[in-house]
Amino acid sequence: MLHIKNLEATIDKKHILKGLNLSIKPGEVHAIMGPNGSGKSTLANVLSGKTGYETKGQIQYNGESLNDLSTEERAQKGIFLAFQYPLEIPGVNTNIFLRTSLNSVLKAKGEKELDTLTFLKLIKEKAAELGIDEKFLSRQLNVGFSGGEKKKNEILQMKLLQPKLSILDETDSGLDIDALRIVADGVNSYKNTENAFLIITHYQRLLDYIKPDYVHVLSNGKIVKTGSADLGMQLEKTGYKNLI
Amino acid sequence: MKQFYDFKIEKIKNLSSKDKNLRKKNLEVFNKNGFPNKKDEDWKFTDLNKILSQNFKNIVNKDFSLKNKKLELIKEFEHNYISLLNGKLISSNFSYEEKNKISLENYNYNNKIIFDKKNSLNFLNDALATGGFSLEISKNYKLNKPLVIYNHFSNSLKETIVNYKNLIILNENSKLNLINYVNESIQENFMVNTIENIKIKKNSSLSNIFINNSKCNGYFYKYIQSNLEKNSNFENYLFSSGLKFNKIDIVVNFNEEHSKSSIFSALNLNNNEHQEIKTRINHNSPHCQSFQKIKDVLSDESKGVYQGKIFVKNNAQKTDAYQLSRALILDGNAEFDAKPELEIYADDVKCSHGSTSGSIDLNSIHYLKTRGIPEKEAYKMLINGFLIETLEKLAEGKLKNFLIKKLERQINGY
Ligand SMILES: Nc1ncnc2c1ncn2[C@@H]1O[C@H](COP(=O)(O)OP(=O)(O)OP(=O)(O)O)[C@@H](O)[C@H]1O
Ligand SMILES: [Mg+2]
Repeated sequence: MLHIKNLEATIDKKHILKGLNLSIKPGEVHAIMGPNGSGKSTLANVLSGKTGYETKGQIQYNGESLNDLSTEERAQKGIFLAFQYPLEIPGVNTNIFLRTSLNSVLKAKGEKELDTLTFLKLIKEKAAELGIDEKFLSRQLNVGFSGGEKKKNEILQMKLLQPKLSILDETDSGLDIDALRIVADGVNSYKNTENAFLIITHYQRLLDYIKPDYVHVLSNGKIVKTGSADLGMQLEKTGYKNLI
Repeated sequence: MKQFYDFKIEKIKNLSSKDKNLRKKNLEVFNKNGFPNKKDEDWKFTDLNKILSQNFKNIVNKDFSLKNKKLELIKEFEHNYISLLNGKLISSNFSYEEKNKISLENYNYNNKIIFDKKNSLNFLNDALATGGFSLEISKNYKLNKPLVIYNHFSNSLKETIVNYKNLIILNENSKLNLINYVNESIQENFMVNTIENIKIKKNSSLSNIFINNSKCNGYFYKYIQSNLEKNSNFENYLFSSGLKFNKIDIVVNFNEEHSKSSIFSALNLNNNEHQEIKTRINHNSPHCQSFQKIKDVLSDESKGVYQGKIFVKNNAQKTDAYQLSRALILDGNAEFDAKPELEIYADDVKCSHGSTSGSIDLNSIHYLKTRGIPEKEAYKMLINGFLIETLEKLAEGKLKNFLIKKLERQINGY
């Protein structure tokens, strides 16, 4: 599904990704761990098509070069990024945003867009599954939401858009124990043989709930070690010292 | 500079010789000063004389014959209406109201109003004004439905100036929601110069909404003077995007205690549109509240100006005055100028003001795009979100939904 070869990324003269390789197949869950500032969010941003980066190397997504696709096209083709810091967008109603988003994706796929009523029924269901109070949906997008509420809203968007590749950037940070379980359940219930996950996290906690097929350590812009789920547990004990 | 206007009192019919003389004097004052330029503190950011000279060859005044223009009524909400053609009252309908509670007449030019301001456009209005209306709401009467003023202009207005005056009186304990509606897409250049005198008596409330439904090449100037008695409320909503040039000049006089006024504006300007809001809030009495929030989104070579002055007299203790202007500038060639001013002579007051201008947040655009929303749409969503906030305080209902739709139309294109 995703093949990254020798990816380099520079922004504002800062060379951040320095030859990164990663392959993800449908149905797989990959976890990326690594010290602060090692380039994890940068990788997520580059995959999402954020502008401002000078990049080198190749990213193939379902046989297509990602370089040629705009951010919205990537999203329409099934790449989803749950942000480490979801943005607050004043004046934009959450429901309207969610519907515009879903309909943009449906339209791009050549599918029928949802009318307001069908949409509201759908979003109500999805919100209930995540224990999100409906009232949030009539508020301005993320404005005044607590840290955890913002993260839940990201997962709600994931479940709504049904992406093929979901990149979760520290979605677990800031979640209480119950919310962590709800979010993990959300991911597990959505997981199937067709879609894949790239989960960026600092804590083994989340990986106890969502069992990864691979754990990668990103350090100084490169993947320096790849292992099975055990690697996460090992890192929890030893830290990154011995790897870097 | 070549003379680009030629105004004649003789073109106005049926004037008494006394009136004619007075008008001639006013015209002389205007002719001496000409249209305002940047030397005038009230036009600090705008050389109107130059703008007009570049867009007009010869502006004249005319005597308009009254023709009925077919009315296209707003269907979205029930309303009373007044219809003006080139400033002249042509029809009205108050079918939702008790008839004897509302009086509507042609403006009476025998009653001279003394204004606390005289700029050359006011003099020009005094010289040339015809038409307009006087509207008076009886004591203890609150209108059941809003009143829409349909402002129509004929297609034959090329290089013509229209001048008129309105008088609006709300007697004690009355209430009126006014919507000033322009729905013209005239391509020819014309000018409209209006003076409106508003009196809000004790315990009364007026809301004054300006909304445009299309683009037109009119150059508008409106001077509003309002006098508020005790416990009254005056709200203004300015959504006049679409006009080639527009300046709204509002004076609010708090003459008695415990009154409120607010001015909300949301403008989305492009091409070389130019809109100005000038306010002067005179806190002449204690315990009054004034609130102003001005928002502009500017692209292409458009220009937005906000000159807001809050004056607090020495006896106006417990004044609460707030003033904020924010601009989103989407294009290097667009311009926003703000001049907030406070002049305070009382010591126990709460006054705050602020002004910001900046560009759109690209991280927010990126966020929306990662959800599959095309870039153009993402911009519109943010612009809409930025402007729509000015409607927050308006009561939910059909009128609000109508305004939201119109604002979206102004943003998304006509
Ligand atoms: N626009 C920028 N200009 C300069 N430096 C940047 C820019 N963006 C990111 N960096 C730097 O690049 C490095 C990698 O940042 P990144 O956000 O990818 O780290 P991360 O691995 O996600 O860290 P964390 O675990 O703290 O979230 C950091 O040192 C950061 O300061
Ligand atoms: Mg990060």
